[in-house]
Amino acid sequence: MTAVAARPPLRRSPDVVLSGVAAALARHLDRPIGVVRLILAALALLGGAGILLYAWLWALVPRERPDAPVSRRVPVAALLLGAAALAALLLLGRELRYGLPFGGVESALLASAAIAWTLGVDARDPRHAGRAPLVRLLASGFLVVLGGALAALGFLTTLPGAAVLGLVDVLVGLAGFVVPVILDRAARRAEERAAAARREQRSEIAAHLHDSVLQTLAIIQNRAGAGSEVARIARAQERELRDWLFAGTDPFAGDLATELRTIARELELEHAVRIEVVAVGDVDEVESHAVAAAVREALVNAARHAGGEVTVYAEATPAAIEVFVRDRGPGFDPGAVPDGRLGIRESIVGRMARAGGTATVTSGEDGTEVHVRLPRRADGGAA
Amino acid sequence: MTRVLLVDDHSIFRSGLRADLREAVEVVGEAADVDAAVRAIAELRPEVVLLDVHLPGGAGGGGAEVVRRSADLLGEVRFLALSVSDSAEDVVGVIRAGARGYITKASSGQQVADAIRTVAAGDAVFSPRLAGFVLDAFGAAGGGAVAAADDELDRLSAREQEVMRLIARGYAYKEVATRLYISIKTVETRVSSVLRKLQLSSRHELTAWALERRLL
Repeated sequence: MTAVAARPPLRRSPDVVLSGVAAALARHLDRPIGVVRLILAALALLGGAGILLYAWLWALVPRERPDAPVSRRVPVAALLLGAAALAALLLLGRELRYGLPFGGVESALLASAAIAWTLGVDARDPRHAGRAPLVRLLASGFLVVLGGALAALGFLTTLPGAAVLGLVDVLVGLAGFVVPVILDRAARRAEERAAAARREQRSEIAAHLHDSVLQTLAIIQNRAGAGSEVARIARAQERELRDWLFAGTDPFAGDLATELRTIARELELEHAVRIEVVAVGDVDEVESHAVAAAVREALVNAARHAGGEVTVYAEATPAAIEVFVRDRGPGFDPGAVPDGRLGIRESIVGRMARAGGTATVTSGEDGTEVHVRLPRRADGGAA
Repeated sequence: MTRVLLVDDHSIFRSGLRADLREAVEVVGEAADVDAAVRAIAELRPEVVLLDVHLPGGAGGGGAEVVRRSADLLGEVRFLALSVSDSAEDVVGVIRAGARGYITKASSGQQVADAIRTVAAGDAVFSPRLAGFVLDAFGAAGGGAVAAADDELDRLSAREQEVMRLIARGYAYKEVATRLYISIKTVETRVSSVLRKLQLSSRHELTAWALERRLL
């Protein structure tokens, strides 16, 4: 007894020729797709049974990935438009059927179908979405011309059916021009309204948090004193909240400034220190790296040995990037460097020297100031 | 003692501040919104109004609206802006309206008392952040733009830039004076003249910036 391999489920793939029905059947039944198509075509000749079966399968066979857009290899709308043009040629035969010129109804229906297809199907098809508006405009234009011709014919030859059909065609054609524009505009307006509502909601939340939580955090810091543990936590929370509230609205935010603020926030979490960062001018990300690393060392130094309030001032001029880190600690003599400071001082001064800049440390009774300077090249980049 | 009016919509903050300042100044009253503040200023005529930048009431203009509506008293009443956020747009509006300085709410009681005394004496109070903004707004980092004369409104003189830089670096007025070998009075004069430029300048960047944020 041989094991029967499980059949793949009957599913239509998102990348199809027309509908994916034949391909799905072929895969499910494990037969060549040509055979399946041949059988469907043969059935179609039996009073249209194949067409019915095809339409039924198209409607009921589920798609493999319902959320993926279907991409069709056949340009359906263009083919419909071509067929409409061919049908219109029959008008030249001047034959009548039910009081209408032969081919007029078919041509109008095919062109209308082309318009509907571009709007309903092709707009979501990545392969045809780009060309869909052009096809739609052509089909609409075709309908208007066809309708005009039919109406003229109807009035001239007193065929009321032709006149009515012609007028309807003109209307449908004009709708093909106008309706998508209206729909598009309405969709865009709805989107704008939604975006405005989101912005307003966000700014309302921001205003509320600003008036309540930020105030409270400020009061906590104020009550607890700059160097205390509670103030440190409140300060860190305040920065985090403020960054979220005012993301992107800070007029000073250059890359170096952002980097320095991040460093400051990290250190505030680890040490009992309050770091204020003031930045002037704009700095590119690349050139700020060595400076940011040196400033970080200076800040770690200040946070460990001084604590309390520390000010960072960064200024970018065309000539140089300069950063000053100032603390209010007891200070030390940079000439007689204690052991603990040796590595830190080396990592600041040495690092800046390697990057082509300078660093100086001045210390006195009322605090220590580290001055980091990196000259910029004439083209604006770092030296 | 300096007569001070506290204007802030948070009663906890007001009472905390009142307790902090008890030794240093005389708190003559409190107000919690724009209209109450304008009334209290007209009635009590305090020397200094400690003014929250974000205030409810009135036409929604916050602290700046209080200053504008009390404009005819600006000679006698001085405003010191208090803000919870040290973002420039919060502060510059109220400074441009006529306030003499700005400090953050995280400042200690001692710092607030010092700032009140400075403002009461007719001088200006700049935080490092505000000094940084001034340097940016007047294009100090751009290099060339230095005022030849001190009374030029749209640019800072070299001395003013020097003072602003040191304040931005966290120096107190006294330290700035020591560092530059000038008197504290000179430092205060320069800061006041920068404040005047900040209030009166029609410098393009500053105005455009303020307009964009609807501060003018």
